[in-house]
Amino acid sequence: MAYVATRGGERAIEQSERLFREEMGPFDRERVVEVKKSLPYLIDRVMGEASLYDEDLAALALAQTGGELYEAVLLLRAWRTTQPRLQVAAPIEQDCLFTHRRISAAFKDIPGGQVLGPTLDYAHRILATDVLQGETYAPKPVEPANKPSPAYQPSVSAWQAENDLLDPPAEDPTKGNDIPDLTREPLLFPSKRAHTLQSLARAETGGVLALGYAAMRGFGQAHPTVNELRLAEAEIAVTHPDGRQFSAGRVKVSQAEVVDKKDEQLGIGYAATFGWNEVKCIAAATLDLNSPGAEKGSPTEEEFFLYHTEGVESSGFCIHFKLPHYVTFQSSLDAMRDAKAKKEAGAPKQQEPAE
Amino acid sequence: MDDTLSVLARVDAAKLKSFAETLIPDLGEIEVLQSQSGLVMLPMRDTAKGVAFHLGEILMSEAHIRKGDMQGYGMRRGHDLEASMAMALVDLAIAAEVRSADCRAFCDAQAETLQKADEDVLRRVEATRVKMETC
Repeated sequence: MAYVATRGGERAIEQSERLFREEMGPFDRERVVEVKKSLPYLIDRVMGEASLYDEDLAALALAQTGGELYEAVLLLRAWRTTQPRLQVAAPIEQDCLFTHRRISAAFKDIPGGQVLGPTLDYAHRILATDVLQGETYAPKPVEPANKPSPAYQPSVSAWQAENDLLDPPAEDPTKGNDIPDLTREPLLFPSKRAHTLQSLARAETGGVLALGYAAMRGFGQAHPTVNELRLAEAEIAVTHPDGRQFSAGRVKVSQAEVVDKKDEQLGIGYAATFGWNEVKCIAAATLDLNSPGAEKGSPTEEEFFLYHTEGVESSGFCIHFKLPHYVTFQSSLDAMRDAKAKKEAGAPKQQEPAE
Repeated sequence: MDDTLSVLARVDAAKLKSFAETLIPDLGEIEVLQSQSGLVMLPMRDTAKGVAFHLGEILMSEAHIRKGDMQGYGMRRGHDLEASMAMALVDLAIAAEVRSADCRAFCDAQAETLQKADEDVLRRVEATRVKMETC
């Protein structure tokens, strides 16, 4: 691969950016507020992929880029590098999650029972075209129960470990700045588990789904059953300068456990992300479940799926191909012309080295 | 976890600012050590292997103030330096025993409001409880 600096086109470049932004027109705080209010699941997805939780910033990035998701995530990732890190919070424990949705496809009678929470799983997929004729779409209100749902539940896997269906996880005392952090260290292989899960948490949803789906369809070693899917709010447990720990607020998180029969016990895969994005979590947990022993270069091999689901790097690499490659391409043309000339002259064919 | 600080971090920003403003004359001169926004990294426990890993960072506002030997601290979600400073003022007032009864009453009332809001959410969640039967 060869690169070449080019000159010229400054006016065209400036006008092209203007042309892009002209379509959205001027925008203000009101538009940001409207984006935040009307598109909470898109906001969640962007915050997860940006690895930066703030609904206002995510809405601003969407408004500024006209919904070009890769650009919005890139803006947020770039912005976060300008900010100081104040603290590392205490790790979220599953039995401290304020739970909105908790379901299992493996066991119908999980301890604590199943709550569907907010979902379109069982909805008719009918487009509300009346809205385009001037009607208002007004969803029916929820009819609250008399008693509240228990807010806190342990993970289903903890119950399975108690019943000898799973190996209980080892205790990990790592905390604070000792937890491996991809924003400060490179991703190396074999990957540390903390890096793998952090990378999946900030991975691009479509990429994770594509590779997770490949594993589900048979290009993997294990078929997932959703052991637990949970949408919840997690406390941000920070420390006062005098040592007291307190919750500095809550953020929305999703997590999924998937299992498969492995010898006499269950194999388990896990993933979590910022915001409510269950497709990403199920697909990511499926990749985690399938990765042990995966063949090199297969979609379920960790190096393959971690590199290829990093949205900022993959989209950046993809779009760089549209930038000037004149020297490289000219060189390819020269080689083609040379080969053609030799063929016409009856010269013996020479194998070209791979580029 | 400290309940009072946890309530102050979640309470409605307008109510917190409005109450904290009334404490300023009674607190007298204070020193501002820090008033800034930044990021807090949030780790999570993996249920498969028990490993702690980073989910990502959260935009937070932080204030750290001092009056003599006493300190006040505030940290809340989002970019709102006034709200984190208001939290720090209430924390300092409690530590310095300045209008303690008013501060306690404010925190208790807000804790009740937050608890009721949580209960309302959980009643709506409970409405979606499902009991599956296999045929």
